[in-house]
Amino acid sequence: MATVLDLHAHSEASEDSRAPVEAYLNWIKMRRAQVPVDGVVLTEHRQWNGNADYRALEDKFGVRVLKAAEVETDYGHVLVFGVTDEMAQRFDFTNIHIPAQELIDEVARMGGIAVPCHPGRPNIGLYEHYVKKPVLENVIAVELLNGGSRKGENERAAELIAKHGYRATGGSDSHLVSLIGLCATRFEADIKDIEALVRELKTGNYEAVDFRPKRKPVPHAIPAEAS
Amino acid sequence: MVDFDPELINRIFETTEPVPVTREKIAKFCAAIGETNPLFTDDEAAKKGPYGGVIAPPSYATTFRNGRHFFQHVPRYGRAGMDAGKDVEIIAPIRPGDTISLSSAVKEIYDKTGRSGTMVFVVVRSTLRNQKNEIVAHIDHRFMNRP
Repeated sequence: MATVLDLHAHSEASEDSRAPVEAYLNWIKMRRAQVPVDGVVLTEHRQWNGNADYRALEDKFGVRVLKAAEVETDYGHVLVFGVTDEMAQRFDFTNIHIPAQELIDEVARMGGIAVPCHPGRPNIGLYEHYVKKPVLENVIAVELLNGGSRKGENERAAELIAKHGYRATGGSDSHLVSLIGLCATRFEADIKDIEALVRELKTGNYEAVDFRPKRKPVPHAIPAEAS
Repeated sequence: MVDFDPELINRIFETTEPVPVTREKIAKFCAAIGETNPLFTDDEAAKKGPYGGVIAPPSYATTFRNGRHFFQHVPRYGRAGMDAGKDVEIIAPIRPGDTISLSSAVKEIYDKTGRSGTMVFVVVRSTLRNQKNEIVAHIDHRFMNRP
């Protein structure tokens, strides 16, 4: 059974989001046709929200909630899936200059996976850092579709993926309730927990999927003259 | 990580003189923002409500000002900055007859990176107390600095 997960979302636990987790889940439940995701992964900024327990909300809304983290490195922002207490002790997640190569290797050694996100974004994306610095080793996947990207950013991510042969994920990067699930990742496998998610990100079959509504073309203010 | 004196955190740097809350002020505030909820505007209806009388709308908490020298105490980093928003947490109702004072302290200082580069955020928490010294609200002022 396939699973569709929004791999990148911020709840009010992140300082720049005002979205309660319950509101995210309610939004998904009420709009399954537009946002056909089975669950969300909360990737709070620069923190590991290890004690948060969303099982009651999962049961109430029938939407899976998994936890990860978004940290800041010398190669931009990186999503860390499969965070353990050991990992959170090994790295100071509040540090905005975590060495990316060390993070990728250590996270893998500890059983997780580090996925650079919004790689096409200025300053905090892999694309720009690769122009100035050596290419990172042992990167398995990067975020192809990010719901918060501006024009050209996801295109640069696609270019990077094609060049380096990375696998591609998708996530909304939602900080507002109404943006949850607009980009996501479709896995072939059934994913019920973070261990399964990490395993599938490393070796499974998946693709980034885009549920953003297509923009209607802007009509001309003055009708073009018939030629 | 951003460098700052940890003793700065939670040290109250100012407390304002108490400001009285009157029924008239609440009525004017409601009129100004188009508030029509009887809990805030109708004495008779509010008497039967959960608070036993008219209370101020939650956003009334934002009308109380910090002292004149507030910004002298807010740490600054670098050459420029901006107001990055406010979070208001309502703890208890504000009622006519209350007097409200604010005490302010630096709650948090942290840095982060975004599209435009590195930013340092300073969060100043103003705590609103009534005449019984009960906390009625917290207001977190978030200031962004460009180092």
